[in-house]
Amino acid sequence: MPTGELLTIPFDVYRYDPADGSTPRYARYTLELAPHTPVLTALLRIRSEIDPSLALRYSCRSAICGSCAMLVNSKSRLACQTQVGPEFAEHGRIVIDPMSNQPVIRDLVVDQSPFWKEYERIVPHLILDPMHPMPEGRPTSMSPAQVARFEETPRCIACGSCYSACPAVAADPAFPGPMALAKLYRFVVDPRDTASQDRLMRIQPGGLWTCLRCHLCTSSCPKDVRPSERIRDLKEMAIAAQGATERGSRHAVGFKDNIAERGLLNESKLVRQTDGIVGMIGQIPQGLRMLRRKPEILRAPHAIEGQDEVQRIYELLEDAGEDGT
Amino acid sequence: MRYAYYPGCVAQESGKELDLSTRWVCRKLGIELVEVPKFSCCGSGFLDEANLTLNVALNARNLALAEKQGLDILTICSTCQGMLSFSNLQYRKPEMKTRVDGALGQLGIHYSGQTKVTHLLEVLARSVTPEKLAGLVVRPLRGLKVGAFYGCHLLRPADELRSESAEEPHSFEEIIRALGATPVYYRGRVMCCGFPILFVNPASANRIAAHQIEDAKSHGADAMATPCPLCHISLDGYQNHASKAAGHDLDMPIFHLPQLVGLALGASPEELGLPRHLVATEAAIAKIGQVAVPA
Repeated sequence: MPTGELLTIPFDVYRYDPADGSTPRYARYTLELAPHTPVLTALLRIRSEIDPSLALRYSCRSAICGSCAMLVNSKSRLACQTQVGPEFAEHGRIVIDPMSNQPVIRDLVVDQSPFWKEYERIVPHLILDPMHPMPEGRPTSMSPAQVARFEETPRCIACGSCYSACPAVAADPAFPGPMALAKLYRFVVDPRDTASQDRLMRIQPGGLWTCLRCHLCTSSCPKDVRPSERIRDLKEMAIAAQGATERGSRHAVGFKDNIAERGLLNESKLVRQTDGIVGMIGQIPQGLRMLRRKPEILRAPHAIEGQDEVQRIYELLEDAGEDGT
Repeated sequence: MRYAYYPGCVAQESGKELDLSTRWVCRKLGIELVEVPKFSCCGSGFLDEANLTLNVALNARNLALAEKQGLDILTICSTCQGMLSFSNLQYRKPEMKTRVDGALGQLGIHYSGQTKVTHLLEVLARSVTPEKLAGLVVRPLRGLKVGAFYGCHLLRPADELRSESAEEPHSFEEIIRALGATPVYYRGRVMCCGFPILFVNPASANRIAAHQIEDAKSHGADAMATPCPLCHISLDGYQNHASKAAGHDLDMPIFHLPQLVGLALGASPEELGLPRHLVATEAAIAKIGQVAVPA
């Protein structure tokens, strides 16, 4: 878009004050703005020129402090880092909501305590061996290769965009959310940390395996921390270190064993591999419903041609650990 | 247009109607599907959690099979598309490449890393084009409001997949419009269907599926359509569970992408495998007006 051109942009901003007993509503404000104006700048203009009662969090205006995360046309974004032009071009207006998955205190300000509670739960600091405090006993410096394993995660500014975007958090409040898990990864792979195995064990029940791999955290992250990819790494490390101890890890390992047989998935067998015989019984009503329309589900799939190649690849790589060793 | 056809596991089994309708539509559009009986499973986002190197090696083998024939791969599943693309990128990492080549080399398999992986949706949107598709429509889907449901792995991570957009795609809606139907825009169209945890945390998976279906419905959708058979399992096959989570019958017909295209290009519901769905599609088809309700 050429600079100098001003756009007339309607903003529909979520307004809610529990103290005055009113129900949430959207207030319409219309501003003339250059396309490259940050959404935060627009909101601050609304507050200074139209309605001083608008509540929002912000500080640095430079995508450093992580305070101004909110929903911009339903996407979790930093308001200071999101320009009005593309949003207006896409939607013809700009709808602003508070972040999801956290209760609203007022207007665009949410109570982030669920997010911070999960962060505390993963013990976000190095756990060192008290008998061998640094500098002796543990490496105090890391090789560039060791640092490279978690170079993305320290970029996190704890803005909460990923927590807001995560459908697993919305569906299951026991799920720690992307940020806490990405932070956890950072300590698990840190060679100085003495609690890596304990961390992997503790995070699994009700935690790690509810991740949907939808990558909405990665697409909403303003710092390209890529939490979904680190959660994937954690899952593989958990299986490598502790085996298939959870329903989620049984499903992953069951899937691996399943493919080894024919090269293609045997769908009904996978249910048994994840749930066991007892769990299969619970699936009988659903199985019968499907069987009426899809009779072939009882039949094992054909083996692919060249299945011997797949089996050979399994033999060569099945024991490869998370880092290929 | 000639591709190495990668139907994926589900379209060869419980989602056979997806394979049927893909073949019908590709015949009609002159897209040649070359069978590769040696293709294996893509790993589906589960195998890599158990063993990433093994998953990348299996897919490097798949990609090499297409490369050997000088063909790019056509997928009909968002997850296959995502996993083959993900493996293609992982294979470019030097350490991974060394490990994978070490194993494949023992089998005499060589992959140079050149195979492109394309989903049917992209072929329809970019190669066939909505304009040409609109010209081939014999039974416009007028009156039908359709909510596209993309499936995560077709869109994200956008930089890895080089997808149109992680959260604001348009290609599916352009196809829906080209077929004469009305696309319904709703946030859930780019969200997760719940499938990845359907057997791990079913209560949460059902809530997620219910949420997206209700979102589509509240925006006026008569039906939803998906380019991913795993989304189809979650949204159609297990819709009864989602209905329980929602507390009421959702009754939302879910089409596979090529079924919707096939209907507009003149295929019968039987040719497209529609009677195989768990949620009946007759009421949605009846809204089109020009189509007789199948007995």
